[in-house]
Amino acid sequence: MSAIATQGAARKPAVRPSRLPSWLANPSGRPRFLALTTWLYIAWALVPVLFAIAFSFNDGRSRSVWQGFSTRWWWGDDTFSVFHDPIYTNALQQSLKLAALDMAIAAPLGILLAIGLSRWRGRGSGTANFLMLVPLTTPELAMAVSLLLVFTQLSLLPFSAVHLGTTAQVIGQVTFSVSYVVVIVRSRLAAIGPDFEEAARDLGASPRQALQHVLLPMLAPAILASTFIVFAISIDDFVVTQYMSSSGETTTIPMLLYANARGGATTPALNAVATIMVVVTLLGVGAAYFALRWFGARTQTREQGAAVRDLATMEG
Amino acid sequence: MTSERALWRGLALPGVVWLVLFVVVPAYAVLAVAMGEIDTLLQPVPIWNPLDWNVGFVKEAFSSVFPGGSYWPATRNTLLFVAATIALCFAIGYPVAYYIARHAKRTKALLLVLIFIPFWVSYLIRMLAWIGLLAPDGYVNQVLGDVGISSPPEWLNGNPFSVIAALTYGYIPYFILPVYAGLDRIDKSMLEASRDLGASRLRTFLRVTLPLSWPSILAGTVLIMLPMFGDYYTNDLISGSPHTNMLGNSVNLLIQGGPQKNLGAAMVLVLMAILAIGMLYYLWETARQARSKA
Amino acid sequence: MATREAETSAAVTQEQGGSVALRGLTKHFEDVTAVDEIDLSVAAGEFFSLLGPSGCGKTTTLRLIAGFERPSGGEILLDGTNLAAVPPERRNVNTVFQSYALFPHLDVVDNVAFGLRYQKIDRQERRRRAMEALELVELGELSGRRPHQLSGGQQQRVALARALVLSPAVLLLDEPLGALDAKIRRQLRLELKSLQEEVGTTFIFVTHDQEEALSMSDRIAVMNEGRVDQIGTPREVYESPATLFVADFLGVANMMSVEAVGAAARGCSVRVGEFVLEAGCGDVEARGEATVVVRPERLEVRDRDADPKPNCLPGMVDRTVFVGSNLQVMVRLPTGSLLQASVPNEGEGLDQHRQGSPVDVHVPPDALRLLSGRPSAPPAPETADS
Repeated sequence: MSAIATQGAARKPAVRPSRLPSWLANPSGRPRFLALTTWLYIAWALVPVLFAIAFSFNDGRSRSVWQGFSTRWWWGDDTFSVFHDPIYTNALQQSLKLAALDMAIAAPLGILLAIGLSRWRGRGSGTANFLMLVPLTTPELAMAVSLLLVFTQLSLLPFSAVHLGTTAQVIGQVTFSVSYVVVIVRSRLAAIGPDFEEAARDLGASPRQALQHVLLPMLAPAILASTFIVFAISIDDFVVTQYMSSSGETTTIPMLLYANARGGATTPALNAVATIMVVVTLLGVGAAYFALRWFGARTQTREQGAAVRDLATMEG
Repeated sequence: MTSERALWRGLALPGVVWLVLFVVVPAYAVLAVAMGEIDTLLQPVPIWNPLDWNVGFVKEAFSSVFPGGSYWPATRNTLLFVAATIALCFAIGYPVAYYIARHAKRTKALLLVLIFIPFWVSYLIRMLAWIGLLAPDGYVNQVLGDVGISSPPEWLNGNPFSVIAALTYGYIPYFILPVYAGLDRIDKSMLEASRDLGASRLRTFLRVTLPLSWPSILAGTVLIMLPMFGDYYTNDLISGSPHTNMLGNSVNLLIQGGPQKNLGAAMVLVLMAILAIGMLYYLWETARQARSKA
Repeated sequence: MATREAETSAAVTQEQGGSVALRGLTKHFEDVTAVDEIDLSVAAGEFFSLLGPSGCGKTTTLRLIAGFERPSGGEILLDGTNLAAVPPERRNVNTVFQSYALFPHLDVVDNVAFGLRYQKIDRQERRRRAMEALELVELGELSGRRPHQLSGGQQQRVALARALVLSPAVLLLDEPLGALDAKIRRQLRLELKSLQEEVGTTFIFVTHDQEEALSMSDRIAVMNEGRVDQIGTPREVYESPATLFVADFLGVANMMSVEAVGAAARGCSVRVGEFVLEAGCGDVEARGEATVVVRPERLEVRDRDADPKPNCLPGMVDRTVFVGSNLQVMVRLPTGSLLQASVPNEGEGLDQHRQGSPVDVHVPPDALRLLSGRPSAPPAPETADS
């Protein structure tokens, strides 16, 4: 006590001087350099995409040189525009078909798996949990190769009944989509906690009734959000979808982009179809975000950043 | 009580069955083909019984990725590209994540939406955008010409720098988001305490913020490293030349290309082995962090 | 009734509370024994508290009675029926959770009516009973609100209504007042007590706040490290603590290490340093190393007298603290210990007993309690706390 007291007695100056030269010291505290970096990054991240979208309205056939504004690649040109050329319309259809099937299968599967995994406390729960994490951590190429081999090399049911094509594509997409659903729903489950189900049980509900009447309504925002996320993931998926495809009929938009991006023969219709994908995906994600926020507000009060953090930490 | 446990197991069952069918069995199929034989028609013959496994292809695959082997260039490329990309992602991404997490107040919501967008724009579309810009007659060369560089390098033909730049461009959003989440979680009062005790802003960053954000940096690194090892499409789109092939390209060519599926499957095993080392380090580091916190 | 059955009459207020008996109740978790062979009986219609510090096992005990944990050993009897194998939804026991756990997707009246759904009562009747329960807790006008629109005190009342509408034999309350401001807490204490008296249900109340337990309970079980140290009325546990833990936990206790030397006129002779006192209650047969306990309000502080009375200890006023209605006078004894006395404020403020003045502290024998054993930590100098 005394050492501290005597030190204080030899009065220190009220303000300690800075050791940096004044121009570097930045006394205002506003991080100019960091702000600049951030905005530059954002420009770098978004501008090329905006260019690609802009080129879809190019008058000429080039995808790199601007030749004037036109909507010919969208609907103007009867043969080659996105909405007329069967190559593009088929690919759009296939993409949407796969996305719908993926949502329809992966969402229920994933939701049930998430609830079951979080409550399951017995033997095998650790393994099941690990199994769920595998699609999230393996490179998509490894998964695609494994699925390709199992559908072509294994003459055992049910694998032998599946040929490459739409069915195989759906199976592949569902397999990793399920993991995303589980991660989203589980994080919401953890936030909800066990209290509400216990209260329901206490008031007379069986475990199944507690699940149905209390937990599922409270999970509704997460269920909705994860369904939209599955949609967005499915639309943009490339590797597994390509490996599982069989013919031109099972071509999706990402596959079309991959095949034609470098070609000199393709037109800005490619950019147009890419623009459609961008818009559709962002709508899907936006819907997921609002599902979490608006319906989430009725089931619990959340701050703004938290919903975003949910979607972000889902990835990590 | 046991009927309750049966309920939870029952709910999880369809999902687990699905995962076993379409994750575990296919993984075994990879093993069976990698350790399999090849028949007279040059088709792979998988061997399902572990006792009959033929390690020839696997041996060939493992030896080929070391210096001197036929797949060493691809391996070397992969390691270099991944390392360079991670470094760039950190150099660019960390400051951005830091700014948004700790400084942006009124613009925070807007910034989050803006960095969110590339996250959800398809990878291929973002590459497509750069192909347009990096084309010989594209805007990048036009701008370079305006500043006096009249004969710019060919960006889209076997250029490793283009590939690294493209990988960085493609994967950096996946790095920024977890790092942002980690930085955002840091309690402001800890930093205020550090400043209160006399540390300058820089010191506080080095001694408090950086160590506390280390787990999320690690998470972000792992998150981008894993898919990069399976990446073949970036190279195909941006470079188009076998000169800059990555391991993903090798696997893709072997599997899709023709009569080399056994070797292709064996290369997948090699890939997973390399990744396993990275995963183990991540798990060990995460466990160490958890222990030091307890 | 030990298990739930549909009821034909709608009375929320009823006279039947259930009796609860715990026999040898034990619960192990991994490497911790949370509840260790507990025996206690709660009479029908009683307001019974489980009091103890955090980690003493009181919440676990409550959860065992509710059915959320399975006992590792022992029995839980409700009106004579063993509940051990009965799942929580079929026990005629309801809980008010610490976090209230009001269902956010339902409005208030639907929350309250929730449990009635499982008793096969039609919708109209459910609503009617729910409104009745809400009237009982004086929240009738808020029936259409959502839980997040209510204040903490209001949420707590909805939780109460939701549990009471089912007319349980026993109501379990897990630190229900913990999250509330001090003023609301005090107000709700009175309301809860009168509610229990009106409804007649047996209440088992868990808390770590001894003031709460003392003011509301018919009887208290003081728990420590999974065991019950003492069961008794508030007065019993406060004035006649059976163990050092109970003495220390309820209120402020002056503890002194002594040697019990022999019998005395009204109890036992104990030696404190070079002084001898008479301890008139507690473990008066004990001999040897022991501890005496005396409550601050029973000590009398007088100016040093040339002719000291029996059972007096001389000392010096170390510090006097003014707390409003009384003064807390710390007296340091020649043995080194510090005694805290609580004397009424006579209007002179701190001058009543000036710092440094020599005094005699009179310890009435019937207030000096002898307990065997030594406290786990040496009796620290008492600081003034309210």
